[in-house]
Amino acid sequence: MATGRYVSDLDRGDVLGPVEYALSPFVVREYCHAVELHQEFFQGSVDQIAPPTMIHLEKLRLYRFACPAGTGPDARVHIEFDATFHEPVRVGERVRVVGRVSDRQAKRGREYMQLDIELRAVSDQRLLMTYRDTVILAYRQKQAAAEGSA
Amino acid sequence: MSAQQLQVGTELRSAPRQMTRERMRWYIDTHATVEHDDGRIHQGPPTIHDDDAYARSQGLPGIIADGMVSTNWILGLLLEAFGRDFAERGRLRTKYVKPIYEDQVVVSCARVQRVESTPDGESVFHLEVWCETESRDKLTVGEAVVHSRVR
Repeated sequence: MATGRYVSDLDRGDVLGPVEYALSPFVVREYCHAVELHQEFFQGSVDQIAPPTMIHLEKLRLYRFACPAGTGPDARVHIEFDATFHEPVRVGERVRVVGRVSDRQAKRGREYMQLDIELRAVSDQRLLMTYRDTVILAYRQKQAAAEGSA
Repeated sequence: MSAQQLQVGTELRSAPRQMTRERMRWYIDTHATVEHDDGRIHQGPPTIHDDDAYARSQGLPGIIADGMVSTNWILGLLLEAFGRDFAERGRLRTKYVKPIYEDQVVVSCARVQRVESTPDGESVFHLEVWCETESRDKLTVGEAVVHSRVR
């Protein structure tokens, strides 16, 4: 188990969370302002839901919980977002998020990591979203590898 | 264009948008703002998306946009066509094949590849999605599945 320190220490099989919380109207509106999603169902005050892309922030929530020392020595680069939205995530509903490192491997000198995330309603365990996040753990290594192969 | 008008081969294209430094920062600021959730805007430590010196220290020529900005622009394009249906159920996959640098102009696109009808009255749209430059150089690629209640 490699949780407890840096994100760059994480390894296949590590479980991050669970973490429970409720999305506030403020954070959903602020996120939508930031990415220019102006739909009433995201920014209105009646039956407000979260944009499904907000699942990406669950990764950061889990990193903070499981890796309090931070990213590690190098910047991480997000390379793939893959989300299935099963049901809407309603503002104010209490949810539970858990992540599992499903893969970590080196390819051509770059370290790739996949994190699988599940978001469920606390009240009845309803599955709301599943998400696979893929990152390169160090852009600098990628650059060096590219220069070395040129 | 609404979901009723979409057929196999229909292409949706957004207006061009410039990936300004401000737009990159808005997204990055959501990270700390959502974390604190206290009604105020917060900024986190420097990242490759908002700090040139830090980006250069990581081997980049300058700041690059977080890939989630282009993912959200694609989401916005699909919401214009499908409305709330796509915010509630479906799938979106995006892969960031090239970095988006400051002030690059980006167009979000989607093309209908397949449409299925389900017994319970839904239409399921399968779309190729991408973001490209004005010269049609692809920056982000992926796919979407949309469950629409409109036949």
